[in-house]
Amino acid sequence: MERSHGFWADAWRRYRRRPLGMLALVFVGFLVLVAALAPAIAGTKPVLCRYKGRIYAPCLGYFDRRLEPAIFAKDKFRGTYPKNLAEKDPQSWAIWPLFFQDPYRSVRADEWPGRPENPAMDQGRPSRMHLFGTDQAGVDVLAKMVHGTTVALLVGFVSMGIAGSIGIVVGALGGYFGGWIDMVTSRVTEIVMCVPTLVLILAVLALIEKPTIWHTMAIIGLTGWTGIARLTRGEFLRLKASEYVTAARAAGAGPWRIMLRHILPNALAPILVPITFGIASAILTESGLSFLGFGPPPPSASWGSILNGARSNLGMWWLVFFPGTAIFLTVLAYNLVGEGLQEATDPRLREARK
Amino acid sequence: MTATAAPDRVAPLLEIRDLVTAFDTPAGRVPAVDGVSLSIARGRTLGLVGESGCGKSVTAMSILRLVAAPGRIESGAILLDGPAGAVDLVSLAEPELRRVRGGRIGMIFQEPMTSLNPVFTVGDQVAEAVLLHRRCSRAAARERALEMLQLVRLADPERRLDEYPHQLSGGMRQRVMIAMALACEPDLVIADEPTTALDVTIQAQILELLADLRRRLGTAILLITHDLGVVAETCDEVAVMYAGRIVERAPAAELFRRPLHPYTIGLLAARPNPDAVHHDADGRAVRPPLVTIPGMVPPPQHFPAGCRFHPRCRYARGEATAAGPACSAAVPDLREVEPGHFVRCHYAGDLGPPHAVEAFRA
Repeated sequence: MERSHGFWADAWRRYRRRPLGMLALVFVGFLVLVAALAPAIAGTKPVLCRYKGRIYAPCLGYFDRRLEPAIFAKDKFRGTYPKNLAEKDPQSWAIWPLFFQDPYRSVRADEWPGRPENPAMDQGRPSRMHLFGTDQAGVDVLAKMVHGTTVALLVGFVSMGIAGSIGIVVGALGGYFGGWIDMVTSRVTEIVMCVPTLVLILAVLALIEKPTIWHTMAIIGLTGWTGIARLTRGEFLRLKASEYVTAARAAGAGPWRIMLRHILPNALAPILVPITFGIASAILTESGLSFLGFGPPPPSASWGSILNGARSNLGMWWLVFFPGTAIFLTVLAYNLVGEGLQEATDPRLREARK
Repeated sequence: MTATAAPDRVAPLLEIRDLVTAFDTPAGRVPAVDGVSLSIARGRTLGLVGESGCGKSVTAMSILRLVAAPGRIESGAILLDGPAGAVDLVSLAEPELRRVRGGRIGMIFQEPMTSLNPVFTVGDQVAEAVLLHRRCSRAAARERALEMLQLVRLADPERRLDEYPHQLSGGMRQRVMIAMALACEPDLVIADEPTTALDVTIQAQILELLADLRRRLGTAILLITHDLGVVAETCDEVAVMYAGRIVERAPAAELFRRPLHPYTIGLLAARPNPDAVHHDADGRAVRPPLVTIPGMVPPPQHFPAGCRFHPRCRYARGEATAAGPACSAAVPDLREVEPGHFVRCHYAGDLGPPHAVEAFRA
């Protein structure tokens, strides 16, 4: 006997049958893994170390400066662990990241016993030591890209999280209540739709004293919700008139319960699709900004800002090829996930492909 | 006619007085329900009969104020009797109205295929109906849901509880709808064409179930249908609606025995009559042609003046007996022609013998 399954279980079953969609999903999963493990993949701070009788995880400093144990600052490590650990506590040990390379600076000579200084400028072509090469300043491109994965993912999720929340709330209110509320929300949506995102970001970044990646994400989110709002409004308008919503009202359900429990779950599938595409386009926007030099300021890694480095010297092809490929694959993956989601949840396409 | 005037008569559970529900369309005001008065006693079944578009569903939706915009209740009262006296549902505030919906009045819809939310299990939906009106734990609500599914005789209720609507057949879904409507033991259930979308054998089962539940739970039922056979089997009283108005109201047996309004007479005559089938020389069945009422129900924008049925009425056209110019001139009142038998026709009772069905078959 077939086990009972709900709408999402059903959609997942259909999604799984699409090899490209699954491949894309696996790729997104891989990116999440890389982002979460970035300090353990590439870095100059030990993943785990024993120092003066206690165990520390200095690599967490890559997520947030404050997570780096204070004792290393007090003992004047100055970010150089291998030598200092050995000199200041002979009994110490450490587990090092997979690649001893820093995403934010060039590794100096003898920082790792017996290793030469990172090559800089156009000398840094890919080699055994530096799989993806080094940039003008001698920073390892692989390390930069591994740490930049976080930015790429965050840009997508945070900006579309903001856009999705605003879009769903605005669209739901307008679609469900109609009347003057719909009038107001629709007009606001149309006004926001007219705001050119890129120009607004450039203007805001110029005004803010210390722009960060969060500002960029916030602006992408605050301007990118219009399509989602329109779609949500349409879905709510359609489902509001459905018989099971009337039945829920006849059973005594209030407007909020009807919106959240009866309409939203049924409207979610079509809304998720543009959100997925939105993630892809947010990543492209951020990369574009970084390429133009409006990305996060230097001590942070973003794929787009590596591309920016290649502008001055096109001979350094590895500065274009590797991050460019990463951006391309990521955007492609999100688009494939979106497409898969659409086909797995759209009843009309569903019937056609049975 | 008020309840106080007749002390021996108990106040009806639900009394609708002169209900007018109209739709404001770009083409103007369309009164779908135009001065309907009805009453239902506790534990009784009232059948509301009429053709499509006569306003019977709008009447039902008006009771729970579920008429969607641009429709609205323009005037009238809908009095629901309760422990603290009658409340008027037309003017009741939204939060109190929500307690009535599902709590004191349950509703069953025509389309069991689309009246259940596709993303939740059957058990969840019945339990939700319980939780909306009772303070109890989720587990207790689920327990109650199971009990309700057993009550409506859904096969294998434990398993069905965790199934989704698309896994159930139409008849099973309608049983679930009935379970939801009855979950909080309402005083009244409005069943809006509950069997129209089902096939004939399932129809009979569902009607039998409704009748049985009414006997056991003492729930009054407002049964809306266009099927006179259904009315004959299940109802205590019948109201016939035509073009937004009640044209005849009587106890069921009385109505079928002695219909007094030409429209009702026509409707009863239009039923296929298996007794009239005879066989010709070759043994082939010869069926008399089905009787029809000429014309169509006029759209509400084009209701005729006077009696709204008169353009289609054979009496008014002078084909049968003594009807006359009053038909197109004045709106007839709903008169009590015989005790408990109300008719909205100028000539009710004077149409001459036979009042009945045979006049149409002539």
